[in-house]
Amino acid sequence: MSGIDAVKKIVETEAQARRIVDEASAKAQQIISETREQAERIRQEAVARAQQQREEILREAKSKAEAEALQSDKETEQVLNSYRKLSEERKSAAVSKAVALILNA
Amino acid sequence: MSESLEKLQNRILSDAKHKADETVKEAQAKSQQILEDAKQRAQRESEEIIAKANVEAESIRRSILSSKVRVNRLRILDEKNRIVEDIIHGVEDRLSSISKSEQFEETAQRFVMEAVKAVDTDQPVVRIGFRDMSKRNLEGVSRVLPKGGKLVIDEKLIENLGGVVATDPEGKVVFNNTFKSRLERLDNQLLTLISSTVFGE
Repeated sequence: MSGIDAVKKIVETEAQARRIVDEASAKAQQIISETREQAERIRQEAVARAQQQREEILREAKSKAEAEALQSDKETEQVLNSYRKLSEERKSAAVSKAVALILNA
Repeated sequence: MSESLEKLQNRILSDAKHKADETVKEAQAKSQQILEDAKQRAQRESEEIIAKANVEAESIRRSILSSKVRVNRLRILDEKNRIVEDIIHGVEDRLSSISKSEQFEETAQRFVMEAVKAVDTDQPVVRIGFRDMSKRNLEGVSRVLPKGGKLVIDEKLIENLGGVVATDPEGKVVFNNTFKSRLERLDNQLLTLISSTVFGE
């Protein structure tokens, strides 16, 4: 083999070596790029799940508070009924005492 | 020559493959790190969203409940006021028809004496007016007036549930002893009395 042929072989081999390195570099870039996309998907999915959970927490809180509010309504109704009953039972006595106060004070 | 050339070629290719492998491995390691960071970031963001939601939920709960409690307190207050007003109307009815009761003469005398004492004059002018009052009712009242005093029947006082208004002769000193006026003067005591009688407060 002549010296020129040997040099040609070396040049070809180096070109092949550069292709190998370039392909690896491209593959690495692709891996990174795909990973970034995957990472963003992971983040978005987690945030979406958290948002759903937030909606559920708010819905539950509202529903629970409304149930407690209903209980407050019931208790208030009981108080009002007891006042009405007391008023019926004691109105006459209250009027008499008040009249006595106005007359005798 | 040919053998050493082949070795050189192999070396060049081997170095290139090694470098390529390293490049891919580094990318894979970096990729692993990116995923790990992303998971941690997602976890942090999720936790922040949930923590804020819990605070917001408590605020919603408090808002709904405090609004309801406020409305219900007002309902109770309104009902108590309605009951008290009803009783005061009953009191007004009873007072305005006092002339039919046995205690009328004694009450009218006392109202006159209080009013005369308040204006503090020898010649008081006493206006008197009660619903359904008769002249016979006034005989006792005349007896408690000072000698220089003057008794005037004034039906306008019936608008104030009845009662007595005394003035000095010039009309400068006035003492209003109508039921309406007494109700106003005794307002606080009256409300306390009614509340304690009806609601036990």
